[in-house]
Amino acid sequence: MNTTALAMDTPTVREDQLKLGLWMFLATVTMLFAAFTSAYVVRRSGSDWRHVALPSILWINSAVLGTSSGAVEFAYARGARGRWRTSAVAMSIAFALGVVFLAGQMVAWRQMVAAGVYLPTTPHSAFFFMMTGAHAVHIVAALVVLAWGTVVTVRAAGQRRGWAARMSLCRTFWHYLGVVWVFLFALVSLY
Amino acid sequence: MATPAEVVQANGVQTFRPAGVPTHDTRGFVRRFVFSTDHKVIGIQYIVTGLLMAIVGAALASLIRLQLGFPDQQWPLLSKLLPAGYQGGVMLPEFYLAVVTMHGTIMVFFFISYVLVSGFGNYLVPLQVGANDMAFPFLNMLSYWIAFLSAAVLIFSFFVTGGAAAAGWTAYPPLSALAAAVPGSQMGQTLWLLSMALFIASFTMSGLNIVATVLSVRAPGLSMMRLPLTVWSYFVSSILGLLAFPPLTAAAVMLLLDRHFGTSFFLPSGLIVGNKLVPSTGGSPLLWQHLFWFLGHPEVYVLQLPALGIACDILPAFTRKPVFGYRTSVYCLMAVGCLSMIVWGHHMFVSGMSPFSGEYFSLATMTITVPMTIFGVNMLASLWGAKLDLKAPMLFVCGVIALFGSGGLGGLFLGNATADMQLHDTYFVVGHFHMMIGGVTLLATFAAIYFWFPKMFGRTMNETLAKAHFWLTFGPFFTIFFMQHFLGLQGAPRRYYAFTAYDYLRNTRGQNLVISLCAFVLVSSQFLFLINFVWSLVQGRSAASNPWRATTLEWTLPSPPPHDNFGEAPIVARWAYEYGVPTPEGDFATQTVPAASVPVTA
Repeated sequence: MNTTALAMDTPTVREDQLKLGLWMFLATVTMLFAAFTSAYVVRRSGSDWRHVALPSILWINSAVLGTSSGAVEFAYARGARGRWRTSAVAMSIAFALGVVFLAGQMVAWRQMVAAGVYLPTTPHSAFFFMMTGAHAVHIVAALVVLAWGTVVTVRAAGQRRGWAARMSLCRTFWHYLGVVWVFLFALVSLY
Repeated sequence: MATPAEVVQANGVQTFRPAGVPTHDTRGFVRRFVFSTDHKVIGIQYIVTGLLMAIVGAALASLIRLQLGFPDQQWPLLSKLLPAGYQGGVMLPEFYLAVVTMHGTIMVFFFISYVLVSGFGNYLVPLQVGANDMAFPFLNMLSYWIAFLSAAVLIFSFFVTGGAAAAGWTAYPPLSALAAAVPGSQMGQTLWLLSMALFIASFTMSGLNIVATVLSVRAPGLSMMRLPLTVWSYFVSSILGLLAFPPLTAAAVMLLLDRHFGTSFFLPSGLIVGNKLVPSTGGSPLLWQHLFWFLGHPEVYVLQLPALGIACDILPAFTRKPVFGYRTSVYCLMAVGCLSMIVWGHHMFVSGMSPFSGEYFSLATMTITVPMTIFGVNMLASLWGAKLDLKAPMLFVCGVIALFGSGGLGGLFLGNATADMQLHDTYFVVGHFHMMIGGVTLLATFAAIYFWFPKMFGRTMNETLAKAHFWLTFGPFFTIFFMQHFLGLQGAPRRYYAFTAYDYLRNTRGQNLVISLCAFVLVSSQFLFLINFVWSLVQGRSAASNPWRATTLEWTLPSPPPHDNFGEAPIVARWAYEYGVPTPEGDFATQTVPAASVPVTA
């Protein structure tokens, strides 16, 4: 990465505040999912616990979300070298893949319903719908941030001041939700 | 995004308004007073909303005491006023449960949280760190209006079918999970959960803002170890709120799914309600208790730490000497913050938990009493050797110390699993938590209002009325809840609608009567405060900028402070407790007095 080019982008107080605010927000989200997880672990010991089969499209969704994260990183690396056009395209792709992930999750839910597995069918299905639903709600919020990052990148050719700091907000939020997804997917699949 | 006109960087940490920007908010009425982003206006909005909610909470408390003090009496007038709750002049048991539930919920979440934590937190933190506003003013406005909506939803729940929620402020399932359990478990419980979810969203935003403000917009020279203890306490309690509240959001989602979508997170197998078998299987009501108390216990400190911080900042203005052990108090706040996250199980000693878990939670609870006690001793030592100036705010702070000591003593018994087995769910618990989460915070709230009212509104409150208010509040309050400890020792269980059916409690009738009479004095005396508050707003004497000769940054501003607070960032030269030193102004130096004029002691 061209650190010289970014050196002029020393974050302002405002950007530092936003970064701080984002990390605190992520701490609260972490506690939310930690609570779901601990409830999952406790409830799993119930005598009526029965695993339901999860749709295989979840693997594809995971790959889509991973690729989207990669696209955000690619956009950042390109932008840092002043390749604004490529960067903006990569950000747009990342956003689009985020939407595809959401659509994929909906397909997964519909497939489960089609197979006769509803929210109250078993505790496992209840946790699956609830936790993936909560994750999807956060994805929607993150997509708004990603859309903002895309606009910032499109405009960055003329107004590059603060671009790196704004991008760091997008990257942190988006990668964080990617990590949460990997964790949730592993939890509901393996445990 | 801030424009360069709004944000100027100085010494890497401060935002301030450049010269030429007007000191008053020039926008229209709605933007200035309704949808304002000014932290001072938002703070006052929170305080007024919280005080209005307190009136509802106090009215409910009066109904509770009317029932417990006069269990055989008929009240035809109340039948007319509250036909859903009284039949033939007698309170319905299920209405009593709803009243108890709503009293607790309103007082904890909608009075103390709004007035003391969000209200004064919003008003004081930016001023005391030398900032012109919160780090995120828009988020701040959003947080207030969500809080308002949350309160509105809760009040609305009184009027739905079945009435307000009746499962206690802790909303334990299965009572809270099954609509058929009690009338209040119908729509009222759903609205209660919705209201809590909104409250948590709002409180989290507010906490996030306070932490960001303390960390990012302190005035030049204001290091963390120069912050007033008020700011430290808000800082720690906001972090606690951020980490402890989300699990209740998760629990609320699960309870809503249990209530409306047929899941069994909290509902066990084999429940029979109204002679019908509930189709749920395998859920765990204890899971809710764990998730609730993971929030519930830190919440006690979220409310109490600001009360203690405020007490520590009011004390020196009336003792004319620095607080004792500032650094130790800061470390104690941090220690309490950390420990408060790992003691929640002491609310569940009788839930059938493993004795080893009980032992652990007992030990952890005993550990948290150490920093709390050190903090309390620091407050006491701050009084030592001082010539006390017993004006109204100081009286209330003395009340805080008294209740903190007495109520805290009861905590030692309840934190011990063996003793708690006997005392659990008795009036001993009610007496204890009212002294701590009720009394310490209530008296600190009044201390804060009397102390900062001149700064907020530029007028002074009537001192005679204020002192009368103190004695008529502290006296009955202490009597009520001190006596309740002894009711508990006699085995009186909490939440019971009447004790008339129990022989062993027959002798407590007189005690309950005295408690009720004291409660009516307590509630009535609050009118003194309301009259003083409203009258002083309109007719109070004009206040000087620093009527208490205090040292923190807000007292360097006019009363009330201008829209943008400081304009130019204040340069802080010293800590917040420079008292008892000879200066041109008397015996104190505000934090902005340069070191060249008055030697810096910390």
